[in-house]
Amino acid sequence: MAETLKPYALLAEFETPADVMQAARAVRIAGFRRWDVHTPFPIHGMDGAMGIKNSKVGYFSFVGGVTGLTIGMSMIWFMNKYDYPIIVGGKPLFSPLFAFPVSYELTILLASFGTLLGMCFLNRLPKLYNPIFKSERFARASDDRFFVVIEASDPKFSAVETRKLLENLGSKNIELVED
Amino acid sequence: MLSKLFQIKTWLLAAALVWLIHSVVTVEAADAVAKAATPTHAAAADHAGDAAVPQIKQFAYSYLTAFMFYLSICLGALVLVLLHHLFDAGWSVPIRRFLEHIAFLLPVMGLLFLPIAFLATEIYPWMTMNPPDHSLTTKRVLFNQPTFYVVAFVIFLLWTWLTWNLRRWSIKQDQTGDPKCTIILRRYAAGGIWIFALTLTFAAIYWMKSLQHQFFSTMYGVYYFAGSTWTTLATCYLITIALSRGPLKGVIFKRQIYDIGVLLFAFTVFYAYIHFSQYFLIWNAAIPEETFWYVLREKGSWWDVGMVILFGHFVIPFVALLRIDVKLNLSIMFPICVWVWLMHYLDVTFNIMPVLYPQGLHLTIWDPICLVVIGSILYWVFKKSFAAHAPYPIRDPRLKEAITWHEEPDADSVTTQGGAH
Repeated sequence: MAETLKPYALLAEFETPADVMQAARAVRIAGFRRWDVHTPFPIHGMDGAMGIKNSKVGYFSFVGGVTGLTIGMSMIWFMNKYDYPIIVGGKPLFSPLFAFPVSYELTILLASFGTLLGMCFLNRLPKLYNPIFKSERFARASDDRFFVVIEASDPKFSAVETRKLLENLGSKNIELVED
Repeated sequence: MLSKLFQIKTWLLAAALVWLIHSVVTVEAADAVAKAATPTHAAAADHAGDAAVPQIKQFAYSYLTAFMFYLSICLGALVLVLLHHLFDAGWSVPIRRFLEHIAFLLPVMGLLFLPIAFLATEIYPWMTMNPPDHSLTTKRVLFNQPTFYVVAFVIFLLWTWLTWNLRRWSIKQDQTGDPKCTIILRRYAAGGIWIFALTLTFAAIYWMKSLQHQFFSTMYGVYYFAGSTWTTLATCYLITIALSRGPLKGVIFKRQIYDIGVLLFAFTVFYAYIHFSQYFLIWNAAIPEETFWYVLREKGSWWDVGMVILFGHFVIPFVALLRIDVKLNLSIMFPICVWVWLMHYLDVTFNIMPVLYPQGLHLTIWDPICLVVIGSILYWVFKKSFAAHAPYPIRDPRLKEAITWHEEPDADSVTTQGGAH
C-alpha cells in the first residue's frame, strides 16, 4: 500500500463486566480523555466509572419543546382568532384550552426532534467510517466481550505505556488498530 | 448556582402562599364590606354565608378533607407495593417495608371513617334531600343510605384483607427467607390491583364526588388516584431520606432516591394529564349536568384556588423537577415534597369545600385540628408497627440486586478503589 498506516487506537478486550468496570475506573483515574468503553449491553454504574457527566441533549429537547408549544399556540391563535375568525360551539375565538392538545402534541414532536438532532450533533453523527471496525475481534462487542478503546490522539497516549496499563488491568487481548 | 435556585424556589413558594392568603382575605373583606354596606343584603349574605354554617357541619367537612388527604397517602403506598410485586421490581425492595406499613394503616383509616359514617347526613346533601331531584332518583341504586354503608364496610374489609396479607407474607419471608413468599405476594398483587382500582374509584365517588351527586365524570376515580400517588411519592421521598440516615443505612442508594424522584415527576405530569382531560372534556361538551361542578369552582376565591392548583400542582413542580440532577438535590426536593402535600390538600379542599362555602376558600380552626389529630394517630400507629419489624425485607431474594445495582456512589470512593494502580 502506498499510504503509511498510523496508529489509531489501542483496543483491549475484557471478559466480564466487572473487569471492564475496573479497567474503566483505572483509565479514568490515569487521566485519559479520548477513550471509550464498548459493551454488548448497558452496565449499571459505567457512567460513574468512566466519569461521564450528564448528557447535554436535554437542552436541545427543552428548546424543541418550548418551540413546539409556542408554534402550536400561536398557529391556532393566528388561524382561529386573527386570520379567519369563526365561532364554533359558542366557544371563544381563542382559548389555550382547546389549543392545548395540538400544542402539546407539537411540544412532544419538536422536543423529540430536538432530542434526536441534538444527539446526532453532539455525537457527530452520521459517521460513515470508523477505523475501529477494522478489528475483527471488535465484532464481539455486540456479543460477549467488553472493550476499552484508547485513541492514539489522546495526549497521554503512548504505545508502550498504555499497553502496559491495559495489560496490568487484566486484558488478555490487546490490539493496536491502525488507520 | 444551586443555592440561587433554591432561593428562587423559596421565593416562588412564598409568593404563591401570599397569593393564596391574599385571595382568602380579600373575599372575607369583600363579604364584610357587603354586609356593612346594605343591611338587607347583609341579612341575605348572613343567611347564605359562613355564619349560617353550623359548627358540626364545619367540623364534618374539615374532617372529611383531612380524611381524604391521609387516605391518599395510604392508598398510594398500597399501589406502590402492588406495583413492586407486579413488575417484579428489584430497586424498590429496601423501601417496600415502610410502604407496607403505611398501606396497613388502611384498617386504622376504617376506624377513622366512623365520624364520617355518623355525620354522613350532615355531609352528603343527597342523604337528606327530600323530595329527591331527578338526578338522585335515577342514581338511587348507588345513592341510598344502606348501600353507602355497605359499600364503605366492604371497601375497608377488602383493604384490610389485602394490606394485611401483603405485609404478613413479607414479614414471614424475614424469618424463613423462602422465595415462595415472593410468589404468593405476586398473586395477591395480581388480584389486588383490580380490587385497588375498583375500591379506590368507589371511595372517591361515594365520599367526595357524591357531595354533588348530580355530577358526572368518568375520570374522577383516576383523578383521585393520580393526586394520591403523587402525594405518596413525595412522602415516600422524605421518609426514604430520613430512614437512609437511620435504619435503612447501607441499603438505600442514589438509585432508589433518584427513582422515587423520577416517579414523582411522572405523576406530576400524569395528574395534570388527568385533571386537564376532565376539565377539557367538560369545557368542550358544555353540558350543564357537568359544567355546574366547575362553574361553582370558578366563583369567588375558588377561581384563585383553581389557578394555584394549575400552577402549583403542575407547572411549578414540572419545571422544577425537569432537570435530571434535581431529583437528587435535597435542597430543592425537600421544599418540593412539602409543597406537594400542601397542593394535594388544597386539591382535596377544592373538591370538598365549595359545597359548604360557595363564596370562596374559607379555612376554619377545624382544618388544622383534623389534620393534626388524624396525622398524629396515623404517625403513632406507623411508628409502632415500623419498630416492631425489620426496617426492610431483610431476606427478600431481590434485595441483593437492589443493593448492588446502584450507580457509583461518587468519584471520591472510586479513587480509593483504584488506588492500587
